[in-house]
Amino acid sequence: MTRFQAFLPRRSLWRIALSAVLLAPAAGAFAAGYPVVTNARLLHAASDNGWLMFLRDYTGDSYAPFRQINTRNVSGLKPAWDYKIGMKQGFEGSPIVNGRYLFVTTPKDHLIAFDAVTGKVLWKYQKSLAGVGLKTVCCDVVNRGVALYGNNVYMATLDNYVVALNAQTGKVVWQKQIKPADVGYAMTLAPLTLEGMVIVGTSGGEYGARDFVVALDARTGREIWRQYTVPSPGQPGSDTWPKGEIYQHGGGSAWLTGTYDPSSDTLFWGGGNPGPWLAKLRPGKNLFTDSLQAFNPRTGQRKWYYQYTPHDSWDYDGVNTPMITSLTYHGRRYQAIVHADRNGWLYVIDRRTHKLIYAVPFAHAISLAGFRDGLPYTDDAVRPAVGKQIFTCPSFLGGKNWWPASVDPATHMVYVPTIHTCMTMKGAPTFYKPGLPYLGETFKVVHDPNDSNWGALQAFDLDTGKRAWNHETRLPWDAGAMSTAGGLVFSGTPQGHLLALDARTGQVLWRSPKLSSGIIAPPVTYRVDGRQYVAILAGWGGATPIWGGDMVKSVANIPVGGHLYVYSLN
Amino acid sequence: MSVRLLQICAYALVLTALLPRRGEAASPPPALYTRSQALQGASAFEWKCASCHGHHLQGGVGPALEGPIFASAKSDFTIQQVYEFLSVEMPAYAPGSLTRTQYLDITAFLLRQNGYPAGVRALTDRIASHCTVPLLYRPAAKASPKVVKSKALAGKPLIVPRVNAP
Repeated sequence: MTRFQAFLPRRSLWRIALSAVLLAPAAGAFAAGYPVVTNARLLHAASDNGWLMFLRDYTGDSYAPFRQINTRNVSGLKPAWDYKIGMKQGFEGSPIVNGRYLFVTTPKDHLIAFDAVTGKVLWKYQKSLAGVGLKTVCCDVVNRGVALYGNNVYMATLDNYVVALNAQTGKVVWQKQIKPADVGYAMTLAPLTLEGMVIVGTSGGEYGARDFVVALDARTGREIWRQYTVPSPGQPGSDTWPKGEIYQHGGGSAWLTGTYDPSSDTLFWGGGNPGPWLAKLRPGKNLFTDSLQAFNPRTGQRKWYYQYTPHDSWDYDGVNTPMITSLTYHGRRYQAIVHADRNGWLYVIDRRTHKLIYAVPFAHAISLAGFRDGLPYTDDAVRPAVGKQIFTCPSFLGGKNWWPASVDPATHMVYVPTIHTCMTMKGAPTFYKPGLPYLGETFKVVHDPNDSNWGALQAFDLDTGKRAWNHETRLPWDAGAMSTAGGLVFSGTPQGHLLALDARTGQVLWRSPKLSSGIIAPPVTYRVDGRQYVAILAGWGGATPIWGGDMVKSVANIPVGGHLYVYSLN
Repeated sequence: MSVRLLQICAYALVLTALLPRRGEAASPPPALYTRSQALQGASAFEWKCASCHGHHLQGGVGPALEGPIFASAKSDFTIQQVYEFLSVEMPAYAPGSLTRTQYLDITAFLLRQNGYPAGVRALTDRIASHCTVPLLYRPAAKASPKVVKSKALAGKPLIVPRVNAP
């Protein structure tokens, strides 16, 4: 606990006011005021000076309308402050900024609040994971950030708690466990706050979980609704599963933060891969796995869906962000969902008709062979079975994994972090046991024979579906993208460079000095007192070094350790 | 040989079921592997597994594979389940890529690190894939694993190398 934290006001208003006056010098120039996060501010987060939620605003486009840092001056970016966190696991979190408060999460569910201008640590919180084995966490013990509402900050944890803390003090307001730990479920996502609710989803598609999205009362933690992504017998979609108990371990993890369309009052949330991985064990389309799901956010009732990969046997998941935007295609204006799927296809879906507008491959895509009447079909020849090894593309890590893409309304482009991988895959015996993986396949990630590089950051023109530019890299592209009105796309590399690229051409305009570790997190940007900052967590880890097959060798010597870097112009 | 060890495994299973549990493991642990296997397993683990599970099995990006949280009554893992899973699905970057001998050695190493004693007979695929003895951490036995003499095995269905303190 810092000296500042020890004296932070906690209870009454007069103490808050008095303390703010008396202790201001001890905290440098930082005033203790915390801007309350209201529904109105969240609805207008796109234009807020801060970065109020995981992907900046409810559209999930990771686009900021800031232009102080732009194509002409980005080469002048300098360090504003930095903070060495340490820890040897992966840092996948987005810093979240409200006023002068900046919050970051770390592996194993630590949370640190900073002064966004000076980097001074305001408070720290560490979720106790005592007695938790972390046995059912697939892809590193990561956390992707917090959500804000009122005076609280919310974190989802590896042992399935949602923790609400006072944003100014770090004191726990409430915490609620939505599933026991170590029996298939975990949470790594940043929560979404919406209309007084905290909404989270569970991971567990590799461990025989039956996953769900759940909404809690932001003030109390009381559960408001819970919607499973795999239906029970009799529910809509249950006829796409075999009879029996297999649905209870059917996966459909909801492990990435959803988006929200206020115009239709619809919450969008991805459903992940079905379990076990081997599809022959669960005949049917297996709804609502690998699917876009549209929910009524007040009740959790499912309004409609679009399945990206029917009857998935390749762990193609479906949780990558459903970004909300509008575009013009073949002369028609659309209200759209844009989604770059693990299966290697970029989907553009009409939010009004719920039908596919178009889809284009952004990576080498074999398993998902094409579309008929707007619906995808798969190549049965590349379905693995016990005794049958297949080769297909992309690998189960996807043409793109979880890393947020970004949609730029000025360029009408989507910027897609990409990996060029294929895989061998074979059916294998499996059994369900709580606490152990439930896969039924063996596999190995290998190079894409059509591309000698492991990675790329690509731009696609959303109005044409054509690739606008392609920044190829020897190593995998393993970090999120963020675009700004300054005509820039920011993202990071495994070698530990934060890059700023020209949003229209892909030309690298600025490259940070080599940071202390590789980057797997998304960058964010915010403004305080008229100055624009760019923040990024370095800290190599995540899924690639664990599951990456032949790719592991290429990233084996990347140094680890978390470190927060913040840049601005002088 | 395999039949004998299967008997040991089965007898240990019965004892586990009958004896009251105090702490993590009150029943006597069976000796299912050789010291040589565990040593080879330690080497293979360091090479193939430690990058995720830690050099001392303490966990890292993957779970800890030693101790009362991993090998607990609550986890309810059997030796068979752990062996069958790891020999099919591990290491995650190339599942099934190790030799059968390496998987058995690594299993022996996990048993040793969780307090199971070495014996004179080697763990085989048949034993490991049929042994439904619960995997329960036995810290006292781990502190000084005792190699069971072959003579002691003769004529007895079960050898009790060390009974743990609760």
